[in-house]
Amino acid sequence: MAGKPVDPFTLEIIKNSLVALGDEMFYALQRTSKSPIIYETLDYAVGATDARGSLIAQGNGVTGFLGTLDTAVSGVLEKFGKEGLQPGDVIITNDPYGGGGTHLSDVSLIMPVFYGEEIVAFVANKAHWTEVGGKDPGSWTTDATEVYQEGLQFPNIKLFSRGEPDRALLDLISANVRLPDMTLGDLWAGVAALRVGERRFLDLYRKYGTDTILASIEELLDYGEEMVRLELARLPRGVYEAEDWIDDDGVGNGPFPVRVKVTITDEEFVADFTGSHPQVAGPINCTWTGLISEVRAGFKALTTPHLPTTSGMFRPLKIVCPPKTIFTAERPAPVSTYWETKRYAVDLVWKALAPHVPHRLPAGHFLSVCGTVLAGTHPDTGELFLLVEPLVGGWGAGRDKDGENGQFCVGDGETYNIPVEVTETRYGVLVEQYAFHNEDGGAGEYRGGKGVVLDYRILSEGAFLTATFGRHKFLPWGMAGGQDGSRNYIKVIRRDGGEEVFGKVARLRLERGDLVRLVTGSGGGYGDPRKRPRKKVAEDLRNGYITPAQARNLYGYGVDRGYAL
Amino acid sequence: MRVATDVGGTFTDVVYFDERTGRHGTVKVDTTPPDFERGVISGLHRAGLDLSEIEFLTHGTTVVINALTERRGARTGLVTTRGFRDVLEIARGNRPDLYNFYFSKPKPFVPRYLRKEVAERLDHKGNVLIPLDVRELESVAGFFREEGVEAVAVCFLHSYANLSHEMEATRVLKELLPGVSVLPAHQITREWKEYERTNTAVLSAYVHPVANTYLDSLERKLGQEKFGGRLFVMQSNGGSATVRAARSNPIAMVESGPVGGVLGAVALGEMIGEPNIITLDIGGTTAKCSLVQNGEVRVNTGYKIEHSRTNPGYPIQTPVIDIVEIGNGGGSIAWLDEAEALHVGPKSAGAVPGPAAYGRGGEEPTTTDANLLAGRIDPDYFLGGEIVPDMDGVRRALGRIANRLGAGVEETARGIIRVANANMVNALKLVSLNRGHDPQDFTLVAFGGGGAMHAATLAAELNVPKIVVPTDCAVFSAWGMLQTDLRRDYVRTRVGRLDRVSPEEVADVFEDLERAAAAEFAEDGVGAGRLIFDRYADMRYAGQEHTVKVRFPAGVVDPEKLAEATRRFHEAHEKEYAFRLDSPVELVSYHLAVYGTMKRPQVAKLKRASRKIADSIRGSREVDFDVYGIHRADVYERSLLEPGTELFGPAVVEEPATTVVVLPDQRLVVDDYGNLHIHLR
Repeated sequence: MAGKPVDPFTLEIIKNSLVALGDEMFYALQRTSKSPIIYETLDYAVGATDARGSLIAQGNGVTGFLGTLDTAVSGVLEKFGKEGLQPGDVIITNDPYGGGGTHLSDVSLIMPVFYGEEIVAFVANKAHWTEVGGKDPGSWTTDATEVYQEGLQFPNIKLFSRGEPDRALLDLISANVRLPDMTLGDLWAGVAALRVGERRFLDLYRKYGTDTILASIEELLDYGEEMVRLELARLPRGVYEAEDWIDDDGVGNGPFPVRVKVTITDEEFVADFTGSHPQVAGPINCTWTGLISEVRAGFKALTTPHLPTTSGMFRPLKIVCPPKTIFTAERPAPVSTYWETKRYAVDLVWKALAPHVPHRLPAGHFLSVCGTVLAGTHPDTGELFLLVEPLVGGWGAGRDKDGENGQFCVGDGETYNIPVEVTETRYGVLVEQYAFHNEDGGAGEYRGGKGVVLDYRILSEGAFLTATFGRHKFLPWGMAGGQDGSRNYIKVIRRDGGEEVFGKVARLRLERGDLVRLVTGSGGGYGDPRKRPRKKVAEDLRNGYITPAQARNLYGYGVDRGYAL
Repeated sequence: MRVATDVGGTFTDVVYFDERTGRHGTVKVDTTPPDFERGVISGLHRAGLDLSEIEFLTHGTTVVINALTERRGARTGLVTTRGFRDVLEIARGNRPDLYNFYFSKPKPFVPRYLRKEVAERLDHKGNVLIPLDVRELESVAGFFREEGVEAVAVCFLHSYANLSHEMEATRVLKELLPGVSVLPAHQITREWKEYERTNTAVLSAYVHPVANTYLDSLERKLGQEKFGGRLFVMQSNGGSATVRAARSNPIAMVESGPVGGVLGAVALGEMIGEPNIITLDIGGTTAKCSLVQNGEVRVNTGYKIEHSRTNPGYPIQTPVIDIVEIGNGGGSIAWLDEAEALHVGPKSAGAVPGPAAYGRGGEEPTTTDANLLAGRIDPDYFLGGEIVPDMDGVRRALGRIANRLGAGVEETARGIIRVANANMVNALKLVSLNRGHDPQDFTLVAFGGGGAMHAATLAAELNVPKIVVPTDCAVFSAWGMLQTDLRRDYVRTRVGRLDRVSPEEVADVFEDLERAAAAEFAEDGVGAGRLIFDRYADMRYAGQEHTVKVRFPAGVVDPEKLAEATRRFHEAHEKEYAFRLDSPVELVSYHLAVYGTMKRPQVAKLKRASRKIADSIRGSREVDFDVYGIHRADVYERSLLEPGTELFGPAVVEEPATTVVVLPDQRLVVDDYGNLHIHLR
């Protein structure tokens, strides 16, 4: 479809401009959002596709949205067709089972870009809105049994028609969410980002003309494919399998087996999840878009982690999974904590290939977002607060490095923890410690990274805790003889001394003086711990990364005197 | 006599100016690591200056940033609140390198065993929940002594709201650890966010001994040369500081060098009546851009070192002029990736081997090589004629890329320049369009070795109406350092909703800061009569995280002033983010910028010798103006251009250290001071 050939330099400049356009939209959304989960956690993505829905630029704050934008555009094209779209339209969708859908909290906005009479591109974003209604504050919960309990559904409808917002729809949203100001703030931020993208796109069209831009887009897509194929050729050909278990579904069922078979040929990279458990009763179900996104993230990590994302780079990737599994659930399966399952998709591929691609893949890490919602009233102001946050934990060790201490899981990314000083000011809890822990796990010639312990003392009368910590029963996997990591868990220590431990918990009532202890796992170790150089074990002891008992029992430190320092 | 010395990575620049005699000049000498002061002294000698005649010497130094990036600081310990020693290592947990599953996060500057916790606790309002246990400090001090710790940072939770525990701990530790640098966080920052504040305190302590040793040695060497004037050090906030002030807070020198150019642009703007400026400083390895609005620089505390698209970096909560820097300079290498896509930078050929044209073994083509081949740089006047460029080497280097692309060498040179320009356009957009500023409302001030060579195309691309190329643009940063006032910034976090705080509470905070400032300036011998206070407020809509800095109205704080501040916030927010909200507005941090005014040198107008414009033409040559075509262009010698001269592009104006490119249809006018104004329409 390209016209006259374009010189390689102009192509390069336009390619860079398209990438920059993604950055600008990303920045616009972050800076205008009113929700911490967007501006601190950066739980969103922005991007642009061509008129057919092929992804040509994407800016990400987290890894897990790689399949959400182009599929959302495809969904819009299917429903409206080009003829059903006018300049100034903005479409809103969060349908988990359709194009671009994950869970109801992740809302996509899509806008066609018109140059003259014609649609030349789409700009889109998808962001985790703090509140979309439903049975629980924050909208996601661990014990939903139908999607209808999880919030408002926007089934691919027009939010703006010809530049005019649908006031009735805005009122409807406002009336159905707990923090309308925040929710509508997120909505406007998304719209502002779309407009930035549209403006930049039109600048490019005006400057270079349609033919040149179209040729550049083709070139950009082909370039992504070429770079990926070069890397693909360096991966070992063969069939690799992995299986694992998901703890439970939050409503009393589980564990559930999941598996993958990865086939790498000269032409393709196939990830086949056939044999994974059917969809379940609780809200951990993942849908097709979530599965695509995770596998794409893993594929990118394996091949071209630093290349700007386009559809072209995923051309050699094929994903197979039968319908109605835990990875491909269908309506009305609840999905609000879908990330617990979708992380397994990338972790399985990772586990299958890590021994064969050890320079890009370390041992298993704590994997779960360890998502926490603490709701209550601020003791100073009496106002409702909603503390929603992911937690940092330990990463796996690799063939030449210890694991990273206290990092967000790979599903997160340019995600920031909430400073203790901000937490205490805003949410009226007292943070009693934020530190690495020394639970057993992750020993190895290279040591797994440290998980953390975060203690919240409740200062208000009555608060509620909802949290989902996967890998509570099945540990981060060690590699090449390294020890498995440690588990994620929530412990509540009542003011009378009583203790309860959870992997998932919904709306647990807390009283003033109770302590909520959030503990994330350490990453898996790499290699036999007894081969760890004595000097490093001594250093770990001095730094308190391991206890004397662990040094002796796991690393054999001081046992074999001839080998000690 | 006033002198500024700017120590850069490759060169140390000296600019001097004698108001009485009008004598002025510039000198460039080699930078002399690790004893940077040697280069300074030799530059002063080379300039033929009698050091005893210098009244003011302003100094820009890279000693702090070098100590940080080369990890050559002190062995540092941290004292912090019980339960929180790992805050420094957990950091914010973020990973800009999203798809790198083999990621390594930055290592903290203090290892875990040197991070000691003591019993003490404040709440977010500054109330004491647990008093400081002074006895614990004794064992901490003993341990640090045994471990040979040379510097200690003290940072407690919520210390921005109550200094008492940090002050007490610092006092005790100083007593117990004579000869050790002990720095409390509040001495450097009083903003919230414990990781950022702790890291700031740690990096400050880490560089404290190195910086002090350097300043001692510089003072001593200057003293030996009979320097009897006053020495000032450039600060990252764009002001200068007395040596005394610089010693107590050395981290404020972290961007001591690069800010000079921005200040120069502000001063130049005052001279020529241009309050709105975008600066473009192109050196050997990077291009730096900044934005000046209404004569004011943007100063904020969100600075990070070593931050990149793959590295979260290390935050330093100190006021720094907002400068965007990208890896695109004259020495940036052009390369093809495996799929034959062309990239320029960020890798640089540096000074050694340098561009292929240097003939020192550089095999890879750089932006400078492309500019030579395109005829923009005169091969006979390369680096002022000091080096005869190896044009065969240039063709060979470019040819390698050209062959792989199936393009001609000339076409490839043009392509490299275009790609480099596109990178720089993106950087310029970051400081302007992305923050809601339209480049059409600004003048581009171009300096550094390469600024004037690329400015014409960049300005055309961004619709900037005018470019100014200052005189001595290759040492413009040092010139800017002559134009500064003393400056200190005080930022204090105290979160409050504007509809709930009283004018008295707001006034109290500002007045408190003003008293502290007056006291500190008095210690520097600057009386209240010379002080100017500028009040700013970091504000946001309740519920947001990011703040917008607005100028807080001067005068007695009353309800109207609060309303005015709120109005300014709504406007500024709309400008930067394209919308405003009905939500309540919060004041998060109070920011006071205090200037101790100094006498500035008055720049004299140039005399006119009534030369004809033809007399300044050196000749003409074919120049490739990329998308504007190849044209035969007149080549002018800048030193022969008189005030009032007007000429039209295509043209090239040459001076020893740089080349000014004027595109077809652009009009160049020389002003009374010798600055070149290039008009685009």
